[in-house]
Amino acid sequence: MPILSILFLLSLAIGPVDTSIPETINSLISVLNRGGKAKTLSEVIIYHIRLPRTLCVLAVGVGLSLSGAVMQAIVRNPLVDPYITGVSSGAALGACLAVFTGVTIMGTILYTIPLAAFLGALLAFLLTMSLAEAAGGSDVSYVLAGVVVNTAFSSLMTILIILGEEKLHGILFWLFGSFAYVSWRIVWIIIVPVFALSAVILLYAYELNVVLLGDEQALQLGLAVKQFKKMMIVITSLLTSICVSFNGIIGFLGIIVPHTARMLVGSDHRILLPSTIILGAIILIIADMIARILLKPIELPIGAITSLIGVPFFAYLLAKRGRMYAAGQ
Amino acid sequence: MRPDNSIVIRIEGVTLRYGCVEALRDVTIDIKRGEFLGIIGPNGSGKTSLLKCINGILKPLAGTIYLDGRLIENLNPKEIARICASVPAEIPEHLNITVSDFVFLGRYPYIRGIWWEDKQDEEFVKRVLAYLQLCHLKRRKLSEISSGELQRVLLARAMAQNPKVLLVDEPCAHLDLKYKLEVMELLKALSKNGITIIASSHDVNLLSRYCDRIILLNRGKIAAVGKPEDVITERTIKEVYGIEVLIITDKDGIFVIPRRPLPSFSGNGSD
Repeated sequence: MPILSILFLLSLAIGPVDTSIPETINSLISVLNRGGKAKTLSEVIIYHIRLPRTLCVLAVGVGLSLSGAVMQAIVRNPLVDPYITGVSSGAALGACLAVFTGVTIMGTILYTIPLAAFLGALLAFLLTMSLAEAAGGSDVSYVLAGVVVNTAFSSLMTILIILGEEKLHGILFWLFGSFAYVSWRIVWIIIVPVFALSAVILLYAYELNVVLLGDEQALQLGLAVKQFKKMMIVITSLLTSICVSFNGIIGFLGIIVPHTARMLVGSDHRILLPSTIILGAIILIIADMIARILLKPIELPIGAITSLIGVPFFAYLLAKRGRMYAAGQ
Repeated sequence: MRPDNSIVIRIEGVTLRYGCVEALRDVTIDIKRGEFLGIIGPNGSGKTSLLKCINGILKPLAGTIYLDGRLIENLNPKEIARICASVPAEIPEHLNITVSDFVFLGRYPYIRGIWWEDKQDEEFVKRVLAYLQLCHLKRRKLSEISSGELQRVLLARAMAQNPKVLLVDEPCAHLDLKYKLEVMELLKALSKNGITIIASSHDVNLLSRYCDRIILLNRGKIAAVGKPEDVITERTIKEVYGIEVLIITDKDGIFVIPRRPLPSFSGNGSD
C-alpha cells in the first residue's frame, strides 16, 4: 500500500513536464480543495491529464489482474489469461470497424472506438458462451470455444486492416494499449464498473478456494460448481471487456500478476485476490511510467511494455513448471 | 422409537445409465444409523456409481433415494453436504495449502459469513484434528506429509462436514498394511459413535473383517447382501468373480484366497 501511494504520486509527477514530488502534492491538494478548478499550469496537467490517467491505469491494472486470477482458478490452469474467452479479439475487431467506418459520436471517434470495442468484446463472449454451452458447458469447452472465436475474430480483423491500409494505421496504438487519451469523463465509466465487479469477485474468495479441489470434490462439499463457474466466467469477461475497450489490449498482465502473487502469498484466494489487486495496480503504474519516459517525448504503447516484461517471465515460468510436471510423474 | 428412525439412507429401485450402459440396476437397500456397510464387486460392477448416487453427484434414471428421511431431489448441494461427506481417494496435484486450511474447507456447507469460518467452525475443526491426532501437522503443507498422514487429513476434511454418513471409496488404496488397519479401526470407531460408514473396496478381506453388512454387486445388481460370512462364500465369489477361492474363517474374520480362474467363465461384463 505505501509503495502504491508513492508510485501514484510519481505517476502524477512524471511526464513531458516533470514536477517535483512536493510540488505535485501541493498542486494536487490545492486543486482538489477548489473542487477541480485548476489555476496554474502544473495544476492543469496534474488534475486534468495525469490524475485521470493514473486512476484509469490503476483500475485497469486491478481489473485485468483479478480477471486473470479468477480465470486461472476456474480452469485450474495457471497459464490461462483473461482474454481466453475471446473478448480481446472481439474488442479489437470492434475498434477496427469503428475506425474503418469512421462513424463519430458527439463529433469525435474517441467515443466510437471504446463503444464498438465493448460491443465487439460482448459479441465475441456471447459467441464463445453459446458455442461452449452447445459443447456441454464445462470450463474446458469455454477455453476451446474461446480459441475458436479468437481465431475467427483475429482473421476478420487482419482482412479489415489490409483493406483499410493507411486509415487503420492509428489503430495500432489502440491494439497495444495506451492511456494517452484518458479524460475525466472516461475515468468514471471505467472505474465504477471495475471496482463494483471486483468487489463482487472478492465476495466469492472462499468459493474459489473450494473450486481448487476440482469439480467433483467441490460438489461434494456443497458448491453448485457448474453454475458458480459460469457466473464467474461471465463476471470476469465483463470486467475484461471494460478494461480493454477504452485502453486497448494490454497483454500478459493477467498472467504475470496472479502468478507473482501466488508465489508470494500462496493459493488461498482470501489473501491471493487482495494481493493480486495491489500488485496489479503497482505493476501497471510502473509499466505506464516506463511507457511515458523511456523514449521521452515519444510515448510507447503500454501493452508493448507489459508484453516485453511478460514474455521472458512467461517463458521462464513455462520452463520451470514444465520441469515440475515432468518431475511429478 | 419408530423403527424408521434408525434408517438414514433408503435406496429404492435405483437404476443408473451411462449412455446405453447400465451401471446400476434396480438397487434397493436400507442403511441404518451407525452401520458400517461394505460394497464389494468386480471392476465396473457399480460400486463407485452407487456411492455417487448417494451423495447426489449422479442422478439415477429411475428409483428414489432418501437421505435422512428426505427425498434427495429436494435437497440442495449444501444440504446434501451436511448429511453426506465423501472421503476422496486423492487430492488435486499442486494444491499448495496447509493441512489446517484444507480441513477447514470441510466447513464450507456451514459457512454463514462471507469469507471466514466463525468460532464454532474453528472449535469443530480443532476437535476433528485432535481426534485424528493431526494437531502437530496443522501448519504443514499437503505436499510435505506422508501418505498415511494424508489419508487421515482427507478423513478429517470429511469429518469437518459433521456428516451423518461417510462415503469412502477405496479407503486404503495406497496404504501399507499398518495404515490400512489404522484407517479401518478409525472408521469402525466412527461408526460406533453413530456415523454411518459406507466403504467400497476391492479388499474383500479387510471389509469383511470390519463391516456389519456387505453388499456384493455384480453388473450393477445386488448379488448378495447381509453379514460378511453369509455374503462371502465360495459359491457367490465363483458366480460373481468367476474364480475358485478358498475361504478361511477365524475369529478376526473371513479370508478369501484366490486359487484359479474358472476356464468356462465368460467374464463379468466389465473392463
